[in-house]
Amino acid sequence: MGFSELVDTKPKTAYMLANEAVARALLEADVKVAAFYPGSPTSEILDTMGAFAPSFDDLVVEVAANEKVAFETAAGASFAGVRSFTSMKSVGLNVASDAFYSIGYTGVRGGMVLLIADDPHAHSSQSEQDGRFFAFPAHVPMLEPATAQEAHDMVAYAYELSERYGMVVMIRTTTRVNHQSSLVSVGQVKRSPRSRHPWKDVRAPYFTLSATARKLKGERLASLALMQRDAAECPFTTVSEGEGDIGIITSGVSYLYTIESLQTLGISPSVLKLGMTHPLPTATIAAFLQGKRTVVVVEELMPYLEREVRSIAQETAPHVHILGKMSGDFPYVGEYSIPVVVQGLSSALGIDGAPPYEAHRVKVEALKEGIPHRSPIFCPGCPHRATLWSVYMALKGTDYVLNNDIGCYSMYLMEPYNSSDSLLCMGASLGVSSGMQHVLSDQVVAFVGDSTFFHAALPGLVNAVHNNHNLLLVIFNNSVTAMTGQQPNPGSDFGPLPVTRLNIEQVVRGIGVEHVYPVDTFDPKGNIPIIKEALAHTGVRVVISNGPCALYNDRLRRKAGTPIVPNAVDHGVCDAIYACVRKVHCPAIQLDEATKKSVIQADLCNGCNVCAKMCPVGAINPRGGDGA
Amino acid sequence: MKDAYNIILSGVGGQGLMLLSSVFGEVCAKTGTHIVTGEQHGLSQRSGSISVHLRIGADALSPLIAYGEADLAIAMEATEALRYLEYLREGAPIVMSSRVIHPPLETAALVDAGAADHDYFALADIMERLRGVTTSIVALDALALAEKAGTARAENVVLLGAACGVKGFPLKADDAREAVERIVPPKTVEANRAAFDMGFDACCAAFEE
Repeated sequence: MGFSELVDTKPKTAYMLANEAVARALLEADVKVAAFYPGSPTSEILDTMGAFAPSFDDLVVEVAANEKVAFETAAGASFAGVRSFTSMKSVGLNVASDAFYSIGYTGVRGGMVLLIADDPHAHSSQSEQDGRFFAFPAHVPMLEPATAQEAHDMVAYAYELSERYGMVVMIRTTTRVNHQSSLVSVGQVKRSPRSRHPWKDVRAPYFTLSATARKLKGERLASLALMQRDAAECPFTTVSEGEGDIGIITSGVSYLYTIESLQTLGISPSVLKLGMTHPLPTATIAAFLQGKRTVVVVEELMPYLEREVRSIAQETAPHVHILGKMSGDFPYVGEYSIPVVVQGLSSALGIDGAPPYEAHRVKVEALKEGIPHRSPIFCPGCPHRATLWSVYMALKGTDYVLNNDIGCYSMYLMEPYNSSDSLLCMGASLGVSSGMQHVLSDQVVAFVGDSTFFHAALPGLVNAVHNNHNLLLVIFNNSVTAMTGQQPNPGSDFGPLPVTRLNIEQVVRGIGVEHVYPVDTFDPKGNIPIIKEALAHTGVRVVISNGPCALYNDRLRRKAGTPIVPNAVDHGVCDAIYACVRKVHCPAIQLDEATKKSVIQADLCNGCNVCAKMCPVGAINPRGGDGA
Repeated sequence: MKDAYNIILSGVGGQGLMLLSSVFGEVCAKTGTHIVTGEQHGLSQRSGSISVHLRIGADALSPLIAYGEADLAIAMEATEALRYLEYLREGAPIVMSSRVIHPPLETAALVDAGAADHDYFALADIMERLRGVTTSIVALDALALAEKAGTARAENVVLLGAACGVKGFPLKADDAREAVERIVPPKTVEANRAAFDMGFDACCAAFEE
């Protein structure tokens, strides 16, 4: 939906992405402070809130250095008495979990909501982590929307719950909820003024330690027991009575797959859809189990609900067969879809009538044999392409180990490069390199992007300098957090609200690194001797490769009215050496089918000139060499 | 019979698939028709394979189309038409661009194998394989038509216009054209309108043949 419509305060029904619907709901809920670190599939919540910020002077939106700081910023604002929000991807909560577990004890004052988005299928994550398992040990209530409308509506409900019990509330989504667009009915936006007040007006203790911890834990567990009533009466929990003695229990997007799969199979068992999945409505589930012969649990990732339902059944309805993943009927790996759920239900219930999804897929797979892969690759104009080539050339002939990190440059581990040895999580390249340099005889090289540097690699660099480690760190400084949509980071000169830009070189020197080499990314040949010099030294050495993200740079150029001048190949000069193909791997370059010489597609070329600099015969320039 | 019309949209990152999704949404919002999509965001980069599952109708709940249940495929690039073919119903129409954007890895493999005596995965081969599922295919040189209309960026709108010429397509051509005019930058309205009409006319002509 258009931003002007989204920011307009009147109620309406409009087409929007679920993440936009959440942001709109945050405006309606009069949230005052929202802090984020971007991460797919939640980034559009940040983007939309960031776009809102200039329109509402009572709203604070910040891009934080990492998820932990974002979570703590929201916590502080809540302690001080206003509504606050943060959202993060599944693994983001690993970073924020230290604060998350403590706040499960201390509680909050102003309503505080955390949205975490899991990524079944690991579309854009390092794992298929199931964030639902955070809620139980942290004593934090959890809601799960199925649709964009529910994602919107749950926000108001979550704040109400958070303030009634003085606890943080977690909304847990999955990729197919966040990245669902549909018509959403939204309410009136009515903002209250944000004024400062003294701490004494809201003062309360927010610490947890030994005796206090034991007391607080008891209180939280008591609150969760009271919340059984909310779980039972949750407006997002529904029971549809069906035929026979079969029941289905499900939640989130799996509910949508389930309803359509039942239509497809032509059966209509009872369905319990859970809107609150911690605490689970024990009495509701027990009542649903009564009189059933079989209950199938439909949920993605790990058997969270299935284990709970089994345990409730053991107490109240031991003869009911509970089927799902643990019975072998549904897969543990990958995301669900109608074919997966139809297959699972057919297997669990022993019924036929499933459409021939698999036969169709297999038939088409045969037709697709040999189709060229279009795997993720650096964009035309991407600065990483040149940096990676320079680093590769400088390291050529040496023995080295390369520890990668999270960002677009992660793609160095994929085709056609296949050139990374490890990639664990945000900021791990430094710690892993530190461990390796104690043991290996090779050059130890770590990669990190600017955003990841500030996010979690700083302590690693501090540690390496302090402990006199011997490694080369290459920082890919492209000015933004590129992979998630070019959001700002502490090294950027912009943000939703005014910011101060941190200079990476100053930070690195301030930590005490003596050998620092800032280079211009787009001079790939000129950078080889500089990187070689860095390799010749010992101790901690840092190469900072400066060059803007191509997509971000496009935005800057559009804004400034600077035209993008594409390159062309002069076929009179081109000698079909293919340096532009082998060394550059740019999506804008392909071969002319007749002459088999390189051609640059003008609408894809970004004009970065890296291919022109690689061409040994000078066949590439903006005019194709012939003035055409 | 389910009230659901399923469209699988595909293309190469940067070709403007999300604008098409917005056009469908705008029209459905105006007519109060239920719509749900499964979109591919995430790794934000140009030139990767990209798809959007788009479903219209009261029974369309799941954000993903089941294999063999898409009523229409709209492909901005020929290889991508083939890549998501498992979603298309047997015999259902494909509206596609005849443009082939060869991925850099394919070009690199071609060069390594010896470009002089090896060839790309070709359009004719793609078309032959598509016909294994459907013969109802409208393939347009959408880039050329868009350039003729005034902007190469309107490749997507050419194909949207063409889709509006498909029998059973759930959006009225006038509604879709109007939504495009509302969504695109004001300076490009004329070019996009022309692109839409060229696509529509080309599709109608193709079906008459």
